[in-house]
This record gives sequence, structure tokens and C-alpha cells, in this order.
Amino acid sequence: MKRPNLLAICCNWSPWTCLNAAGRTNTQLPPNLRIIRVMCIGRINQALILKAFEYGADGVILLECRDEDCRYGPGPAVGHSNVQLVRSLLDLLGIDQQRLVECRFEAHEKDRMAAELWAFAGRIEAMGANPAKPRQEREAV
Amino acid sequence: MDSVRITKIIRDNALYQCLECGKCSAACPRMLAGKEYSPRLLAQKLISERDDEAFIESSVWECLTCSLCQERCPSGVDISRVILEMRALLAAEKGLKGYRAHDGALHSWMRMMTSPDLKQNRLGWVSPDLKTAQKGRVAYFSGCAPYFDVFFAHLQVDTLTIARDSVRLLNFLDIEPVLLKNERCCGHDLLWAGDRENFETLCRLNYEEFKSAGIEEIIVSCPECYTMLGTHMPEVIPGFDIKVTLLLDLLQKEVRKGGKAFRPLETTATFQDPCRLGRMSGCYEAPRFLLGQIPGLVLREMENSGRGAICCGNSGFINCDAYSKNIQVQRLREVSATGAQLLVTACPKCMIHLSCAMRDPARNEKVEVNIRDLTSILARGIEWTG
Repeated sequence: MKRPNLLAICCNWSPWTCLNAAGRTNTQLPPNLRIIRVMCIGRINQALILKAFEYGADGVILLECRDEDCRYGPGPAVGHSNVQLVRSLLDLLGIDQQRLVECRFEAHEKDRMAAELWAFAGRIEAMGANPAKPRQEREAV
Repeated sequence: MDSVRITKIIRDNALYQCLECGKCSAACPRMLAGKEYSPRLLAQKLISERDDEAFIESSVWECLTCSLCQERCPSGVDISRVILEMRALLAAEKGLKGYRAHDGALHSWMRMMTSPDLKQNRLGWVSPDLKTAQKGRVAYFSGCAPYFDVFFAHLQVDTLTIARDSVRLLNFLDIEPVLLKNERCCGHDLLWAGDRENFETLCRLNYEEFKSAGIEEIIVSCPECYTMLGTHMPEVIPGFDIKVTLLLDLLQKEVRKGGKAFRPLETTATFQDPCRLGRMSGCYEAPRFLLGQIPGLVLREMENSGRGAICCGNSGFINCDAYSKNIQVQRLREVSATGAQLLVTACPKCMIHLSCAMRDPARNEKVEVNIRDLTSILARGIEWTG
């Protein structure tokens, strides 16, 4: 199997600061990880997460602030409830729930973030391809 | 736009017969809810002013496809079919355009079901009291019920209760249905959203699933699944040879044979005719006959019922907007006007859309009413007599 498609949806504040710091210090991150920056994880709804899987993601990770650090209020809590709901739907579809994870970071935790992302990439690689691949993705493999 | 194909769509669906009487527009729930929307004008533009693409596109995508216009049309124009085929045509040329409710989450999971390698865990709802068979010739099709149950949990719409009660009713009739592990969505919402390619894939996968399990008859409780499996799937699959039975029709037939009765239920109820059950499948009598069999239940019809029933506000989860909400509130006001304590419907989508309007936190007016599916009402009290 080719390398899995990994998607990280990253909050603009603490997690993005971690990513920036990781970049400045040349910390290696999984090369097959695509990152989308959003202003707050609370903006991401169930449809957008499902769409990532529909478009061929093998794993999706939501990088969030901690509850008390959210600039807008309920962001991480909204993220959490969306993840729970999408996980139930993935389970019905027979897609391993571990393909969708959320992780919370403080602004200084670049090393922990790198470690979490590598661990995530390793877990997804071990799981293999997502069984619900859209047609164009299936044909490319 | 492909003018030759449009001409064919017009011919196939008798649009040239349009008298321009405007009854369709006068009946359209969207128009009555205050939107500038006219099926008659769409017909005129399609026939003689095809260069007004912007108008045609917006009209084609914004239709609720409830078929009330068709019911009123004195010339028998199949307007819903025109909309259906125009959507497929426009989607192929210009992409899927209709505004998808819930940001398209439902269409996303339906599209994911087109993957052939999917191994679903969809049968968690089967409770121990339900008798089902591993092998057999009759299957019960639960469609998207397990998915809606998760997605609309916040509306307290328990779609799985409908599935369980349907199996209970079948068990009562000594039918132990097969529940297929990997049946997929019937494709209704994808087809009506213009995504014909994925709809056809779902049809083929479902047909393979039925055939490999040796199924000869499918029983469905949802009117949308009924129109898809019964009408649209045979158009996609050549030589489609599976019998599709609507649970309500089966029950009506069995109850008429005698020997079965319902326990009393002292209540007044009104019935919301789902468009896919009534106007698209012609089934008006069975639900009323079955409700009439319940002693104590008084059926009070709404101002607009039967053939003239008003839409629950949305179809296929596209184009839900303020006008849809307006239609739903009007409908719920009609329910209140009957004084009924119970709103009975026969389609899980009607239940979802009307419950959504009832539980709108921004609405001051109280339009909440107890809403239940017909199968649940029937399953709670059916018994043998004599």
C-alpha cells in the first residue's frame, strides 16, 4: 500500500504555535500529513470531517487548544462532540473509529505534538487503507 | 446546456402539454410560503427561453419535489420527473449545486457507501425479542435508519424504533425477515440531489447484496426506499426481478383477511401524507384503513390532506431554508387546528423535518405536538382474535 493520506485540522492558536515552533527548529513531521489551518476547531462540523473521509483520507486528526485556552469559548467542547458523533457514524460504516482522533495542546508543546503526530501516522499505517475510498482514489492504488 | 437533451426531457414528460394555466405555481408550497418560485415560469423558460440559464438553474435546484404541482396540473405534466432529469443534466454539466442541508454530511456518508469493500456494523439495533433469519427469501430493508438515529439524536427522532416495530409487525405475521449486513442507502437523496452516478452504484451494490443472499422479496417501511427500490432501481438494473413490498400494503392485505385486531388507543390523531407515499406511490388508503382499525382512535384530517397534503418542508436534504421552515410551521398549525393529540406520519423524513421545526429554539410560538410513526402505533397493539 502507498503511504496513507493523513489530514490534520489545526486550530490557529496553541496548536498552530506548536507547529510553527516545530518548523523553526526543523523538527521532522510525517511527510504524508496535510495540514489545514482553521481559526477554531469549533468551526469544524461533522460534515467537514466526514467529507475528509469521503475524499479519501485514511486518518484525520483534530489539533485543538485546551478547554481553558480557547479564544472563543466552547471550541474544543464543540470539536469533541463532533468527533463523538462522527465516530459513531464511522463505526456504522465499518470504518475504525481510531481513524479519527483529537489531541489538545498548549502553545509550548511542540515536542509532544511531533510525537503525537508520528504516533498517529504509525497507527494509521498499521491499520492500512480506509475501506470507504471514493472511486477515483481506489483506482489510483 | 445540452438543448437536445432538454428537448427530450420535455417530450418524455409531457411538458409541451403545458397550458400555462399557472395552477402549479398557485399550489406550490414554496410559493405559498412567500418565495418567488414558479414551476409554470420554469416550464416556459425550458420550452422557449433556454438562454436564461441562471433562472433555469435556480428553479431546478430549489424545487422541493413534493409533486403537489403535478397533482394540480390538468395536463398531466410530470414536473417532478422534469426536475429530477434536469438536475442530473445540470449536475453533469455544471456540478452539484443544490444547497445541501447539514453541509452535506448525509450525502457524504451515502457516497461513502458506494465503496465496494465496506463492511458495515449496521445491525446493532436488533433487539433480542426480534425474530430474524440468517437465510431466507424475504428481507427487511432498513436503509439509513441506523445512521439517522445517530445523526438526529438531538431531535429525539428515534428512527430505529420504526425499524424495530416493522420487524415486530412482520414477526406477528409469521415472517422472519433476513436483515442484510451490508445493504446500503437506497440512494434517494443522492438521486434527487442530481448525483446519478453514485445513485446507480448504490443500486448495483444493493442488487448484488440482495442476489447473493438469495432474496426474492424486499419489505420496506420507508416510502422513499419504496419509490427507489420499486420504481427507480428497475430502471438502472436490467432484468430486476425482486419483488418490493411496502409494509403498509402488506399489513392492509393481512388485516383485511381477518383474525387480527388492534388494542384500543384513546386518542385523536391526524395523518401527514408523505409525498413519496401518497403522490408518488398512490398509497392514500392503506394508512387510513389501518388507523381506522384501532378502536378509540379518532382520525381528524387536516385542512390539506390526502392528494392535496402539504410537504413536510424538505426533501432529499437539499434546499432547507427559511421558506422550508415557514412551510413546516404552517403544516404544524394545521395539525393544531385539528385539535389532534397525535401527529402520525409514515415516513421517517417527515418525522425528522417536522420535529426539527417543532424544536426550533428561536420560535416563540408553541407548535409542538406528539409525533409518531404509523408502524409504531400499529406494532404496539396488534393481536390475534378469534
